[in-house]
Amino acid sequence: MEQHRNVYIKSATQISLQEPLSERWLESPVWPKDRYVRSQNPDFRSWLSPLESRRMGNLMRRALATSLSALAAATIEMPGAIVTGTGLGAIENTEIFLDQLCREGEECRRPTHFMQSTHNTVGSLVAIHTKCHAYNTTYSHKSVSFDSALLDAFLQLRRGITSTALVMGNDELTPSYFNILTKAGYVGLPGQVPAAEASVAMVLAAEDPQEALCRIDDVGLAYGALRIDALPSEFDAVMVGYNGALANDTAYDRLLAALPTKRPVLHYKHLFGECYSASALGLYASAHVLAQGVAPAMLRRDDGDGALEVRRLLFLNHSGAKNFSWVLMSRPENKEL
Amino acid sequence: MEEPIVITGAGIVSAIGLGKAATLTSLLGGRTGVGPVKYLRTAHTEFPVGEVKLSDDEMKSMLGIDREPTTRAALMGMLALREALDEADLLYNTECGRRALLSGITVGGMDKSEQHYLDYIENDTANEYILTHDCGATTEMMADRFSGFGMVTSISTACSSAANAIIMGAELIKSGRTDIAVAGGTECITKFHLNGFNSLMILSREQCRPFDRRRAGLNLGEGAAFLVLETASSARRRGVRALAALCGYGNACDAFHQTASSEDGEGSFLAMRKALASAGLEPADIGYVNAHGTGTPNNDLSESRALRRVFGAAMPPVSSTKGLTGHTTSASGAVEATICLLALRHGFLPANYGWREPMEEGVRPVVTVTPAQLRHVMCNSFGFGGNDSCLILSENV
Repeated sequence: MEQHRNVYIKSATQISLQEPLSERWLESPVWPKDRYVRSQNPDFRSWLSPLESRRMGNLMRRALATSLSALAAATIEMPGAIVTGTGLGAIENTEIFLDQLCREGEECRRPTHFMQSTHNTVGSLVAIHTKCHAYNTTYSHKSVSFDSALLDAFLQLRRGITSTALVMGNDELTPSYFNILTKAGYVGLPGQVPAAEASVAMVLAAEDPQEALCRIDDVGLAYGALRIDALPSEFDAVMVGYNGALANDTAYDRLLAALPTKRPVLHYKHLFGECYSASALGLYASAHVLAQGVAPAMLRRDDGDGALEVRRLLFLNHSGAKNFSWVLMSRPENKEL
Repeated sequence: MEEPIVITGAGIVSAIGLGKAATLTSLLGGRTGVGPVKYLRTAHTEFPVGEVKLSDDEMKSMLGIDREPTTRAALMGMLALREALDEADLLYNTECGRRALLSGITVGGMDKSEQHYLDYIENDTANEYILTHDCGATTEMMADRFSGFGMVTSISTACSSAANAIIMGAELIKSGRTDIAVAGGTECITKFHLNGFNSLMILSREQCRPFDRRRAGLNLGEGAAFLVLETASSARRRGVRALAALCGYGNACDAFHQTASSEDGEGSFLAMRKALASAGLEPADIGYVNAHGTGTPNNDLSESRALRRVFGAAMPPVSSTKGLTGHTTSASGAVEATICLLALRHGFLPANYGWREPMEEGVRPVVTVTPAQLRHVMCNSFGFGGNDSCLILSENV
């Protein structure tokens, strides 16, 4: 039976098209205009020697920088679990190996790109770096990869199997894979937010509200359909992933229309773009909104203007209007407005 | 006290057969499925492989699939799922509780990507396989083939993917998130990872010989297997037979290297210890270990050391069945858990095919199929990235 240990987000960091490893976007965001915008890399020298940095692709360097920053912000050296989500994994290394295979045939080639091509490369890298032997796993399921990782960590914390967890969402997007996903109709549509990249790390802890950004009250995944009317209804805003593409947005319209009570709607992909790990950025943004207790006007999707006071938030995400996830989160008890 | 998780269905396809009956016959008869490459179009004919002896078209016709773009991993997965669901009375009966599908997979739709990648990037129109590359695509093809899954996700930790899917399945049941978890994995051989493993120089040009002094690498295999997990009371309520219990599991990270195991096998040692602790068992309770035993010099030495650290002088019978199936990578955790299930239910120790001479510091594996009354068996799966997992299956009580 499910025990009810409270689960908190102690820290949450990002590298995206916004200023990296910073929450400055809450006041002065970058307004992306192109169809494809890559992440702004920080100076990696704080975490990696130039040699190490050269050996690693963007995905790995960003994952390491976000996760080590999140651990430092939470003052935790060694997490009790490392759970990663990624839709495409190390796609840059995968494509280099694949492209050579397709163009040059099957001569023996150097193993570096293959060694760093599996989806768990990131989770492993962070474990090696922190010498962490704890539970370590990786989810790779389209746009609910991070959400699956979050569910895993949440359940373990809730049931007392571990007391801290590092949860990550990482996706990079190469120019060639941007073209592939454009042809496939996933990104690059007229009026759609830019195709982007995401690296997010958060530290979750059980029964530890001290200086937490927010509390996670529940996490769920639902395949086929989400019975939104069956979810807890006490929240004062909904955060969704509108991206300007009709099929994607219609699915959110339907979910919101099925809410028993109408609530103010917030969104984030107009600031962070779309990718398989976009929901990680959405959850990161939600956590920081709850930490400050106010959603800035630029996050509002509804008719209301001005900043919105938020104490409890329902985060909704879907993958192809087929695989749904939801997170109920609230401002911790010790943070009064 | 947590309610025991039981296994009420299992389905398997690998180089040694389609279904549990054929798999059992091959295990008992020591019939290997490893041989010259036949189905994969590769220049590397020097490496023996454990292919599923069915073409994509043959699997499609067995499943009644006409034309829609499907990956080889999805086809194998559907065959294994069909057997598992049928045995657990879930194939036609979709109204008996919430069910989740957790599938372990790594190269995903790479079999199609490596045929069509240049078309993906150079052609103006979308190739019909363009959205089948990612792991989730294959899992959703399988989920959509069988109705009733209310939660679907994919786990990707290389060669321990299926074991970690089984662990997640059990955790979802224990936390009340689902009534039934169908968990396992699927992976087909691709040129991509055949060449990748070759670049790492870990493929054997001969039949692999796990734990043998002259072992020279692994043979790639392919396949799929899924277990149906639920609580004992759910099985009773539904009137289905519990085949065995999943009484413990452990996941730990070696945190040593992206593709090599540490000298003392710390990650695998910790995974086995955690599994024993979660099962409430002592090392002496384990009657058989199905080792990861890939046949690479590195894995088998590291795993032998880890096994000695766990079991000391009282080493239970150990074997690797990869000489029969080849290394089924992401599927291996579920393929070998199903082999353990067969060993438990039919009372025998599977043999370590291909072994001849003891290796220094190595475990001495079971070399001939031996009758044995088994109560608790351990199944190891270790992946790139040091993602090490261990499952313990027990006779049903």
